Amino acid sequence: MAKTSAHQKNRSYTNVVYATPVSEHPSLDEVYEVTPFSEAFWTYLNYVILNIFGWFRDLLRNARIENRKGSAENNPPGFVPLYQSYESFYTRNVYQRIADCFNRPIGSVPGATLDLLERVTDDYNWSFRFTGGKVKTINLASYNYLGFANNSGPIVESVINSIKTSGLTAASTTQEFGTLTQHRKLESLLAEYLGTEDAIAFGMGFATNALNIPTLVGKGCLILSDELNHASLVLGARLSGAVIKVYKHNDMNHLERLLRESIVSGQPRTHRMWKKILIIVEGVYSMEGSLCKLPELIELKKKYRAYLYLDEAHSIGAMGLRGRGVVDYWKCDVNDVDILMGTFTKSFAAAGGYIAGKKDLIDHIRVTSHSTAYATSMSPPVVEQIVSVLNLLLDNDEEHEGRRRINQLAWNTRYFRQRLTKMGFIVYGHPHSPVVPALLYSPSKIAAFNREMLKRGVAVVTVGFPATPLVLGRVRFCLSASHTKEMLDEVLKHAEEVGDLLNMRKSKLNPKRPFHETES
Amino acid sequence: MNVGIAQGERNPNSSWLNSRGVWLTYIILLFVLHFILLSIPYITTPVAWTLTTTIHNICSFYLFHLVKGAPWETSDQGRARRFTFWEQIDNGVQWTGTRKFLQILPIILFFIASFYTKYDRTHFVINLATMLLAVVPKFPIFFGVRLFDINRY
Repeated sequence: MAKTSAHQKNRSYTNVVYATPVSEHPSLDEVYEVTPFSEAFWTYLNYVILNIFGWFRDLLRNARIENRKGSAENNPPGFVPLYQSYESFYTRNVYQRIADCFNRPIGSVPGATLDLLERVTDDYNWSFRFTGGKVKTINLASYNYLGFANNSGPIVESVINSIKTSGLTAASTTQEFGTLTQHRKLESLLAEYLGTEDAIAFGMGFATNALNIPTLVGKGCLILSDELNHASLVLGARLSGAVIKVYKHNDMNHLERLLRESIVSGQPRTHRMWKKILIIVEGVYSMEGSLCKLPELIELKKKYRAYLYLDEAHSIGAMGLRGRGVVDYWKCDVNDVDILMGTFTKSFAAAGGYIAGKKDLIDHIRVTSHSTAYATSMSPPVVEQIVSVLNLLLDNDEEHEGRRRINQLAWNTRYFRQRLTKMGFIVYGHPHSPVVPALLYSPSKIAAFNREMLKRGVAVVTVGFPATPLVLGRVRFCLSASHTKEMLDEVLKHAEEVGDLLNMRKSKLNPKRPFHETES
Repeated sequence: MNVGIAQGERNPNSSWLNSRGVWLTYIILLFVLHFILLSIPYITTPVAWTLTTTIHNICSFYLFHLVKGAPWETSDQGRARRFTFWEQIDNGVQWTGTRKFLQILPIILFFIASFYTKYDRTHFVINLATMLLAVVPKFPIFFGVRLFDINRY
């Protein structure tokens, strides 16, 4: 089939010629602009002031001059306290001040638009009260990459029918009575989609990592994991009992150095050979928006005879010419990656995770995994949702739903990233990743950006410390195939206004330009 | 904010002092404190310098060596709860860049304060006492030591 397809399409909203982005050569143009010192300084000052007021207010609270609003332990005399009140210092004095930006209850299905339940606070975010109204917003906060999150349509009909035929749950673990024919059908479809020999699906994505890495590696093995790996991978690695070495994010030189040093010196103390070496990477890192450097990783893995575990939580369905993930994007051979893992939560609008690879591997996991022995299998309506989406995505016809969505997402990503960068925002990550973090640096700006965008009808996710490094608070736009060009333009215009208000558009690599000049 | 912690860093307290621009910010804020003190009319320059050194050393002793644990819930299952902030920096590795910077700073302040107070006896005693308070607990020999069981638990 054609590698690049440039179609002239008559769509109702855009007449632009677009082609799914294809990289001829491993694209190394990920940009991480250096933090300007002034931004770092004002962020630290921000934290110093928050700290000073925090200590002051805690003093008042301890002296009972001020009411303690958070829950506190009532220490009976003679008992050792269970909690340190210092541990909740940050929550009380920093997080609580901006708590209205997080955990907002939603009032509609989180598709391209989202209705938020309007709430007000009378006592500075310690408690909230619903006014009964709804705020209509454009949704850039959900991991709805292919736009399958909706509550009406043919897929939803088939899901509801499957509840009538198969019930809500198998109510049993996979190894006992929990494997239904639907599960086997899902697994064979998944293997066909990814191009591997076999696959196995689990009910929960976090548990897929945490409970299956211990079946693959154990004591006497070495795990080399990227600095920014997700908590589930870290938990799985710690549970396994192997030696863990962390290398700097996407730094292949550091990884190679670590590999060489570890192989030469062997296991700690005994200096024997390692039983197995496993390199754990993610396809798309959701906080940075960066891609793993798969061709170089495969080269390294072959040279030093290690195994590669690829976690495609955010990239399956969202990256690649045919939506098959980063392996498809970098045009590598699927058989080179030993263990492909992914989740159904993001692009498939379902829940759960999978592992795919050679048949021997999957047979081993079926028998030894903690999840298959103790955890309930995936619920039948969820299986039906994933199977319906997979059927759409397996269809190679350009005109049909699946390919159309993949192409739309790729176009949206390129368009949005291009215009945002040209407007002067400091944007991290790979130019083709659908996760777009724009840097805000300080916690006050995090709150301000969130609230200002909500006033203008855009729902975004802003994150700060400790989820990100101290100085690098950011707003993370998650693009979707269900966003139209008009929606993205509106979001960009609002972002321009708020960006000027907060003085965020200070990129030195891309000096700021007004919105109407960034049409390239 | 414990929402959505994606990374595996066990205790962010160990690494934030290595972030971009912290050392320079520390020095700038120290000078800001000094200028605030200088602008109070009845305080002369020598007294301002001694006050700066004293306030800096006492605050740093309290924040680095008396307060234990971290101001947020760490994912290291409470391992850091018994350690002071100084002991948590860089996960206990001695003689890193940050530790050397923080050890040298009170000594340099002492030199500057001695110069500006023209080596007067009272000022010297005060400055020396607070400098020792700030520098001695940072020696590696005192790592994890709690004298007379003060602040042990």
